[in-house]
Amino acid sequence: MNTFLQLCFGGLALGTSYALIALGFVVVYRASQVFNFALGELLTLGGFVMVALCDFGVPWPLALIGAMGMTGLVGAGIERLVLRPLIGRQVFVTIIVTIFVGMILRSLVLLVWGPSPVGMPTPWDPSASISLWGANVFYSALGAVIAGVVTLIGFWWMINKPRLGIGMQATSSNQETALALGIPVGRIFGSTWFIAGAVAALAGIFLSMFPRNLDSNLGFVALRAFPAVIVGGLDSIRGAVVAGLGLGLLEVLAQGYVNEHLGQFGHNFHTVFPYLVMVLFLVFKPHGLFGTKEVERV
Amino acid sequence: MPTRPLVTSYKDDSRLFADIWHKIAWTLALVVLVAWPFMASARWLTIGTQTLVAVVGAVSLMILTGFAGQISLGHAAFMAIGAYTVAVAGHVLHLPFWLGIPMGGFAAAIVGLAVGPFALRLRGLYLALVTLGLIPIVAHILLSFPELTGGVSGISVPMHTGFSAVEGASSLGDMTAAWHVAGLELSFQTKLYFLYLGIATAVCLAGVNISRSNTGRAMMAVRDSDLAAEALGVNPAKAKIMAFGISSFFAGVAGAMYAFEQQYITIEPPFDLHMSVHYISMIVIGGVGTIFGAVAGAITLVMLSPLVETLTAGLPILSDLTSAQRSTLVFSVAVCGFLIFEPLGLFGIYLRIKRYFLTWPFRY
Repeated sequence: MNTFLQLCFGGLALGTSYALIALGFVVVYRASQVFNFALGELLTLGGFVMVALCDFGVPWPLALIGAMGMTGLVGAGIERLVLRPLIGRQVFVTIIVTIFVGMILRSLVLLVWGPSPVGMPTPWDPSASISLWGANVFYSALGAVIAGVVTLIGFWWMINKPRLGIGMQATSSNQETALALGIPVGRIFGSTWFIAGAVAALAGIFLSMFPRNLDSNLGFVALRAFPAVIVGGLDSIRGAVVAGLGLGLLEVLAQGYVNEHLGQFGHNFHTVFPYLVMVLFLVFKPHGLFGTKEVERV
Repeated sequence: MPTRPLVTSYKDDSRLFADIWHKIAWTLALVVLVAWPFMASARWLTIGTQTLVAVVGAVSLMILTGFAGQISLGHAAFMAIGAYTVAVAGHVLHLPFWLGIPMGGFAAAIVGLAVGPFALRLRGLYLALVTLGLIPIVAHILLSFPELTGGVSGISVPMHTGFSAVEGASSLGDMTAAWHVAGLELSFQTKLYFLYLGIATAVCLAGVNISRSNTGRAMMAVRDSDLAAEALGVNPAKAKIMAFGISSFFAGVAGAMYAFEQQYITIEPPFDLHMSVHYISMIVIGGVGTIFGAVAGAITLVMLSPLVETLTAGLPILSDLTSAQRSTLVFSVAVCGFLIFEPLGLFGIYLRIKRYFLTWPFRY
C-alpha cells in the first residue's frame, strides 16, 4: 500500500507538470489554431534562465517570477515575429515553423549554456522529503504540485473574469467576429503565447529539480505530454488538466506495476504506454474527452 | 496567363510530358545525373546518393500529404520499418538486396494500411499527432527484439547480390566489391548511385502517373473537400487508405535505400521526429502538391546542409557548436524564412521565372 501511495504522489507531481505543459499547448491552440511544437524548448529556456538568475544572486521567488516572465516574453516574441505572418496558411506550415523555431531555440540554448547538465537551485534542501501517510514525498514534488495548483487556479480565474480572459474566449470562438467587436486579436495571440511561455518555464523549473537535472534535452518531455493534450481534447483547458494529471499517474504506475510483467518488451514500456492509450482512445472518441466536435457545413 | 500549352482534350491534360520543353528538361537532367558520379568528388557522390534516397522519401510523403492532404508526422517510422526489414533480411535470411528493397516496402505498406483507417475518423492536427505516436511505438517494438535488430547498439546492413553469402566477400555482402566494366572501375558508391538513380526515377514516374490517373485525382478531390468528393462519387475512405498504402510502401523503399547507403543503422537517431520534420520541410519548401516540388525540395535540403557546414566553418560566434549543430541552426533559420516569405516554395519561384520568360518582353 505504501508503495502504491508513493507512486501516486510521484505520479501527481509529474502529472502537474504535464498538466502545465498541456495547458501551454491548449491556450495557444484555442486562440490561434497553432500547435506549438517549440514549447519543449521554452521549458528548457525557462530552466536555464532560472539557473542564471539564481547564480546572479536574485532571491529564489523573484528569480522564479523573472524566469517565467522572460520566457513568456520570448514566447510572445516568437508569435509576433514568426507566426503572425503565417496567419491563414495550412496547418502543417505552422507545425513545421514551430518545430524549426524550437530547433533554433535549442541551438541558442546550447550556444549560451553548453551541453553539460546543471542542478536546479531550490530554496529547500534538494533531497529533503517528508512523510505523508507513510509515503516519502520530496519537497520538490510537493512544491511542484502546490505551484501547479496555484497556477491553474489563477489561470482559471483569469480566463473567466478580466477583459483579457473574455477576449481570449471570444477569439477562440470566432476570430473575425472578435476583431469586428473591437477585441485586439493580435494582442490576444501575444498574451496566449506569453502565458504558454510562462507556464512552460514553471513546468521546466520543477521538472528539472532534484532527482533529475537540467540539460538541453529537457524539451523532449513536452513530446511525452502530447498524449495528454490529445486525450483531453486539443481545445479544452479542463481536458488538458484532467488528462495531464491522468497521464502522470498512468506513466508512474505503469513503470511501477506493468513493466516487470512484460519481460523484454517491458523495458521502458511506460514511455510508450501513453501513446498506445492515446491511439486506442482516439479510435473511440476522435475529439478527446472534452474537445469540441467539428461541425462541417457544405 | 498561359503556363502550359492550351489544353483542348482530356488526352492533352493527362499527357506525361506537356510539351517539347519538358522533354528537353528531362533529357538534360538525365545527362547531368548520369555524368554526376564521374565528375563529383567522393564526398559529393555520397551526397548525391543521399539525395536520391531523400527524393524517394519526399515523393512518398508528397503522395500522402500533397495529393491526399493527410498530414503525417510518422514518416520516420515507416522508413525505420523498411530499413530494419532489409537489415534483418540480409543478416538472418541472407536475402539479396533486390528482394530486400521491395520487402521493406511491403512491410511498411502493411503498417501503413493498418494506420490508414485512423485517417477516416481523424483529421488535421489530431491525425498528425497520432502518426507522431507511431515513431516511439515502432522504436519501442524494434528495441524490444535485440537478438533480431541489435537493440540500442544497432545492426549492420549486408548487401548480397545472390541468395547465399559468397565466399571471401566482406561481412557487408558482395555488392560492396568494385566492378570493372569496359575499362571503367565502378566502385560500390558508384554502383549504389546508379541503382538508386534507377529506383528514384521509377518512383518519380510512378508519382507523376498517380497524380494524373484516376487514383490521384480521387486523392486530390478528397484533399480539397472530402464531402464534395463523396457527393461526386469518389470514395474518400478508399482514397485515403490507398494514399497511406502507396505512400508507406515508397517510404519503406526509401528506408531500405537509406539502410544500404548507411551500411549500419541504429533507431534513434536517425529515425526520430527530426527525420519526419525534415521530409515535411522538403515537400513544403519544394511546393506542396507536385512531384516537381518533392524532387526540388529533396535536392535543396540534402545539398544545403553540407554547403552550410562548409560555409559557416569560419564564423567566430558559431564555432562553439559542432558542425551538425551549426548546420541545424542556419538551416532552421533558412527554412523559417522560406516558409514566411515564399509560401509556394521552389515551385512558386519556378512559376515566376517561367512566367517572366513566357511574357517577355512584357512585364506581365
